[in-house]
Formats: sequence, C-alpha cells, structure tokens
Amino acid sequence: MAEKKAAQEKETEKAPSRDELEKSFKEYSVAEFFKKNRQMLGYSGKIRSLTTLVHEFVTNSLDSCEDAKILPEIRVEISQLPDEHYRLVVEDNGTGIPKKNVGQALGKLLAGTKFSNRAQKRGQQGIGAAYATLFAQITTGKPTKVKTGLGDGRVYECQVSVDVKSNEPSITDEKEYAGKFKGLRIEAEYAEVGYNRSEYGSYEYLRRTALANPHAQLSLVEPDNQITVFPRASKDIPNKPKNVQPHPLGITTSDLMDMAQVSSARKISSFLVSDFTRVSADKVKELQSLMPAVDLERAPKALAWSEAEELVKNFQKVKWIAPETDALIPIGEDQLEKSLKNLLEPEKLKVVERKPRVFRGGIPFSVEVAIAYGGKSGQHVGDARKGELTRFANRVPLLFDAGNCAITEAFKSLDLNRYDLKEFETMPVTILVNFVSVYVPYTGAGKLAISAEEEVVSEIKFALMEAARDISQYLHGLAKAEEQERRRLIFFKYIKEIAQALEDVTGRKASVLEPKLKKIAEERTAFLEAQEEGDPDAEKELEDIEEQFEEEVKNDG
Amino acid sequence: MAAKKNEKDMTQKEKAALIDIKIDELGQQLVKEIEAGQNPHLDIPIRGSGNVFYDAKAKQIMLGDKIAKRYLFNVAHSRRFMQTLLVASYVKKDLLANNLTATLRDLYYAKKHTIAGTKEDTIDEQKESDGAIVDLEVSLDTFRERLHLRAEPKGRMAGTLKVKDRVRDKVDTIDLERMGSGGWAVPSIVEQIEFVDSEIEYVLVAEKNAIFDRLNEDDYWKKNKCLLMTTAGQAARGARRLLQRISAELKVPIYALTDSDPYGWYIYSTMKYGSMALAHESERLGCPEMKFLGMSTSDIEHYDLSAVTIKAKDIDIKRAQEMKAYDWFKTKEWQAEINLFLEKKLKAEIQALSSKNLQYISKEYLPDKINAQDFLP
Repeated sequence: MAEKKAAQEKETEKAPSRDELEKSFKEYSVAEFFKKNRQMLGYSGKIRSLTTLVHEFVTNSLDSCEDAKILPEIRVEISQLPDEHYRLVVEDNGTGIPKKNVGQALGKLLAGTKFSNRAQKRGQQGIGAAYATLFAQITTGKPTKVKTGLGDGRVYECQVSVDVKSNEPSITDEKEYAGKFKGLRIEAEYAEVGYNRSEYGSYEYLRRTALANPHAQLSLVEPDNQITVFPRASKDIPNKPKNVQPHPLGITTSDLMDMAQVSSARKISSFLVSDFTRVSADKVKELQSLMPAVDLERAPKALAWSEAEELVKNFQKVKWIAPETDALIPIGEDQLEKSLKNLLEPEKLKVVERKPRVFRGGIPFSVEVAIAYGGKSGQHVGDARKGELTRFANRVPLLFDAGNCAITEAFKSLDLNRYDLKEFETMPVTILVNFVSVYVPYTGAGKLAISAEEEVVSEIKFALMEAARDISQYLHGLAKAEEQERRRLIFFKYIKEIAQALEDVTGRKASVLEPKLKKIAEERTAFLEAQEEGDPDAEKELEDIEEQFEEEVKNDG
Repeated sequence: MAAKKNEKDMTQKEKAALIDIKIDELGQQLVKEIEAGQNPHLDIPIRGSGNVFYDAKAKQIMLGDKIAKRYLFNVAHSRRFMQTLLVASYVKKDLLANNLTATLRDLYYAKKHTIAGTKEDTIDEQKESDGAIVDLEVSLDTFRERLHLRAEPKGRMAGTLKVKDRVRDKVDTIDLERMGSGGWAVPSIVEQIEFVDSEIEYVLVAEKNAIFDRLNEDDYWKKNKCLLMTTAGQAARGARRLLQRISAELKVPIYALTDSDPYGWYIYSTMKYGSMALAHESERLGCPEMKFLGMSTSDIEHYDLSAVTIKAKDIDIKRAQEMKAYDWFKTKEWQAEINLFLEKKLKAEIQALSSKNLQYISKEYLPDKINAQDFLP
C-alpha cells in the first residue's frame, strides 16, 4: 500500500498528464470535501445521521431488487453498543454485488452506477453507500463489514474502508465460501448517531418507506430488541424505470459539470448530443451562436464551471422538444390503496393520481396524493394522534427540512377549514404526497426537500384539494351521524321521566307511553337530514328572558 | 272578562278543580300526539321584550300573542319540556290533590333526582324549575298561586283595617291596628284574604322597612286613617296582588314612597304597571291607580335636601336612560323628572328627611304632599 502510494507520488512528480492531474485532484477533493461538509449529505444531528445511514442502504436495496424484479425483503437492525456507539445491520434479498465491484460500490465516492444513468431512481448521486463507509471510519475508525452472494452458491465476505486521500477502496479480511446466501448484508459501527422513535428517526423512515413501497417487506429490530414488521401489501413489483437522458431544461450547473467529468464523448458538442435527450447538432450550433466565446470543440472534462453556468443559462433560450413522459413511474392508485389499507387500516381513504405535467418549461413530473382517515392513521404521540403530512420524492420519504419543501408549501396554502380538517393537528389523518420525476428539484445536496417551483406547488395543491374533498365529505357525514346519535341519546334519556309525569297527570300508563315515545324518537333521528322543529326566533326570545326572569325571581324572593 | 267574573265567584276548591282539569287537558293533548306518532309539543307564550307591549288605556305592561312551540324531540327543548311536565305532575298529583301549597324551593327538591341510567339530574339549579313553573303558568293561562305554589313572603302592614285569613280550613280575623311594632306579614298567597271593617282613607306603600318602622312608631296610620305597608325592596307577588285587591275592592287611593333614584322609581312602576318578565300577570298584579308620592328629584330642591344627596353612579344613569325610553314612563311629568335627574345626577334616600328632624317625614313631608296632592302619575 505504502509502496504503491509512494510509486504514485513518484509518478506524479515525473510527468503528470493534464487528465491525471485533474482526476487525482477531483477524487482527492471529493472525499475530503464531504468529510468536511457532512451536513450537506444529511449527517448533522445524531438521530438524523442514523436515519440517513438507514436511508442510504435501504434505497440501494430497493433499487437493486427492483432492477432484478425481486420482491424486496429488507431487515434493519439497530443495536446500541458501549460508549454511545451504534451497530447498524442492513440485509436484503437483492442481486448482491459481484466481488470485483464491492470496493467500487462501497469504498469509492461518486463511483456508483446510478450517476451516469438517468432513470427515475431513489438515489441519484452515487455517494450514499460509500459515504456511509467513510462515516463509520471517521466516527469509530472501523471498516464496514460486507457479506454478499449472487445466488450462485458462493458467498463473499470482506471489510471495506475508503482511502480518503486517494478516494480508493481498501479491502481487507476477505473470505469466500460455499453458501446459499443471496443478497447483500452490511454491518457497520457508528458513533455520533442516536436512535429514537421521533418523526425524524429510523422507525419513522421505515414506516414511511413501507407506505410508499407496498411491494416491499421491511422489518426493524430496535435497540430495545423490539421487532416491527411492515408487511408487504402487494406482489406487483414496480416497472423498471426507463433510462432517460436528461433534458437540457432539467439540468443544473453542478449536474452538467458532473456529467461532463464522466462522459465518454470527446468533445463538449458531441457530449451534449449524446448525453442529453432532444439535443441535435443543429441545437448545438444554435447554442454555440449564443455563446461564441466558449469553444465547444474541447474535451468535456475541460469544461469550466463558468462555462457550464453559461451553457445552462443558454439552454433556457433555445426552443426544445418536450421530454418523454412515459419514464415516470408513480406508485399507482391501486398500489397506494393496498399499501395504506394494509398499514393504516383507515376508515376512509382517498387516493388521487394526477396526469403528468412539466416544470421549468420541460421537466415532466407527476403527483400522487393519498389521504387516510381513522384506523391507525396519523402520527401516534402516546395515546394521542396528530395529523401527519408525509412527503415523498420517487417513493423516498423526506423527513427533514419540511419548511422549505414544495409539498409543505402546497399543504399550507390549503384552507383546512373548508375541508373539515381544521383540527388537523389532533386528527387521525395521514396525508401522503409522492412527487414523481426523473429529475427531482431538491433544495440541496442532502435531498431533504423539493424546491417550491410554482408549477410543482400548484399541482400538489390541486391533488391535495381533490383528495381532501372526499375526506371532507366523509367527515361531514361522520359529524352528522354523531350529531344524530347525540340527539337520540338526549331524547331517550328523558323519555322515562316524561312518560311517568304523563301518567301522573293523565292516568295513562307510562309502560304504554314509553315504547311509543321511543318509536317517535327513533323515527326523528333516523334521517341525517331530519330538521329540528321550532322557530329559531322564538327560541332566541325565550333565551332572552331567562336572565331577566332570574332577576325578577330574585326580587320576588 | 265574563269568565274572569265567574272565576272570582268560585270557591277555592272549585278554582283548584279548574286547574286540575286544565293540567289534565294539557296531558291528554300530549298523549294524543304521542299516540298519533307526532312530536309532542307545548304552546308557550313568549315572554320577552319582543312580545311585550304597554297598553296605555289599561295602564298595564301586557304580553303579546306570540307563541313558541316547545317540542319534546328537539335537542334544545327536550330538557325543559321534561321539567315542565315534572312541574305539572307535582302540582296536580302532590299539591292540588292534597290541597297543599309549596314553595318554589319545595318543588325544586321534590322533583330533583338523577335520571335513571345517566349522571344527569332532572333539575340542576332552582332557576330551572322556576322557569319551568312560569312555562306551565303561561301555557295554562293561569298564575303561580293557582298552582298552589308560593314565593317567599315579603312585606308588612299595619292600619285601621281588619282582614280575614285562612290556613286550610281555619279562619283568622286579624286586626291590623293591633300588630305591635312589627306589623302583619303579608302572606305569599293572598287570594283567600277578605277585608272587613275598613276605616282607611288611603294606602301608603314604602319601599323600605325603616320607613315603615318610623311611621309605625309615630302612629302615622292611626292619626291619618290609612294602611301603612312596606315592600322591603322590589314588591313580592303577594304584596302586589294585595295592593291591587285593596285598590279595586276598597276603592281607596294608593301612594308610593321610594328613594329618589331610578331603582326606587322602577319599584313603583312594577307595582303600578307590572313587569316585562311577568307581563302575563300584570292584569292580576298591577295596580294602575297607584300614585307616586315621592321622593322625586324635584323634592330634593323643594325640601332643601341638597346637602344630603348621593352622587349617581354610572349604572343609575344607564337605568334612568333606559326608563326614559319605556312607554309607561312617557308622561311629561316623569320625562321631566328623569331629565332633571340626568342633569343633576343626584340621588337621595327617604331617610334624608331625617336630617331636619326624626319626625319631619310624618309631621311635615307626608301631610304636606298629600294635602297638596303633589303626586306624579
């Protein structure tokens, strides 16, 4: 190792090519950069850091299973060790990782397979799992234990860490043996993390993941050894996301830079045509005429940040054909219904799926909303319930930074009064919003919140309104039925007294009058629309005099 | 009016039988509705400012003809409906049938109990049963005394008059000249009272016990051949009814004596015209011929009492402003008095006359006023 490093350094000293220099600079900076800026990736706060780790592994597991059309079974185990260390084990039944790729997948930042292929996937940056490895290293100094099997009768185990300086994986303790294990098991030890059942904790993360992934079976072992299983609600595996190249209107400067770094194209111009959808040679010419100072015939790796910025700006000025919308994969009305019925057992459920729309002039997206009322719906706080708004982007729960999210903004703009949700804070209600797009406009690298683009916010609002209308109607009926029951009880309460008084007055037997009175009371409360008799004005006047009368009686003695 | 005359000639027993029949009719009507599967209801005349008017000719505050229907099966009504029936049952079965009378509080305790299978009481506070009693009164077009219910007695009297009173079947003749320092307590029910050997020329009603005691000590009623009475504040029903009967049957004038303030004047107006809350009883309790002797705001100046006045409070001013708008205070004399009060903002108690000397009221003020017929309408 040391020898190799020394040799590298020697080589570098000799005659580094421009490419090599850039490469080493980039890789060096990535690991170092993230080490220093961990909060950008969600590693700030103890509870949240652990949730982020769970998130990284679980999303990878789900994606891996879906790719291979496997019904996911994911087991998460969190245990507390001395000195406030935690052990996290995540095990799935996915495809597993070929031995030669383990290092790349778990010990090298930005090396994931997702980065260069733009499908609507849960993760997009390929930093996650490797950063988890790095996080274990930083906080406890320990490598991450990996066990994987491809289903070919062989099992491979090793320990992985990241060489921070070179951003290269370091693999030790390798073992290979015969076994039936298929899938991936990760085990690592972390410090500076914490566990509880708050709305930011791993439990909540898995519960919400289960809501949005009815085909998955998730189980969690908590530090107190409590086991929770979120059972599978459906055996329909979502369609494999179609690979789509990014559309010029849906790209940010930093994305463009990243793409340019890994592109195999030789020139910026051909990179644009080959790596983007709807970009033709003519369109490149048009772009070039808009920015004559930038030479698009250079290698993509040579693209400078300021040039990328200018390119993105000019993308907005060119007329593009809209991207295809068939790449969107929503959870689906049917699946959502199964899922929420399975986990929440609601009294009333409404699922709304909206047609795809575009934002930023060309990025397709669609919105799914489900509102569940009653049963196990709502956030459980002790014995009490709280209405909850659960946010998702491509089925991934967004637990943090709610205040900056398009979903929260859309919800806030609803007039809850109008939808009988005025008491939302104390109602057994779960609202689920899933934002579906190949390109999710996150507000930051931590992928916590969806940027509040105008088209996005209003589309979410429409979906919420549509679902809320149904719930409102149900609640309205419920309130009416409750009112009827209340009235019935009031009437029944007095019947005995009245029958007896009437017997005293008229001699007519109370035992004869009572059943007749009950029958009338039943009839008068049987219909939801039954009107109370009586003149409201007269009623008010009667009330009016009560006070006056009281005074009079007082004087009267 | 013809029916009333007939009623007047009835004996106590016949009157009780009449109410008994009325309650029975009310019950039968409800049974009929129940058997027809209808929502049982009571017709209850509305008592309240919206259904009360001043009859200038009769000089009475009267109840209008607006009627509210109270339904058993209406959540806002059912509890009160039940309470009204409890009152009806108590009056018929416990009071009338046994020829007994009871206080409002007796009834409250007799009918208060927990409703079977609930944690709710039939009646929580006495004001609920009191209200139900008035409901029954008005829906039967009768009054409390006929239901054998009495309020706390209040008021005393002494004078050159004898009355016959009756306790169930025992009859007592009471000489109101021989009532000592305390006077005769006016009972809460006075229907049975008969007047005998009247030598009175007028009745003087004082708002305050202290004035009664002062004038009684001064032998005022003996020297002036009158009946002296105190209402001890707002006049109770017994006292009001008795005053009306004296006015009608003995045909003597009645003079009221109150403090010089809106509260005292209102006591006077209640005795004379009736009240809004008991407008249905004005005919029976009002005393339209009554006159106001004093004290008025102009008395303060006339009798040189400026040194012993009290500053009016905001609530007095407000009360005066309200009274000024009442139809029965619309005479020019009262309007002038109220305006004077609102201008001076001063009150005076009757006892202020004692600042001259203790007997000033009996020797100067009252004779002076009565001789000059210096009254307000």
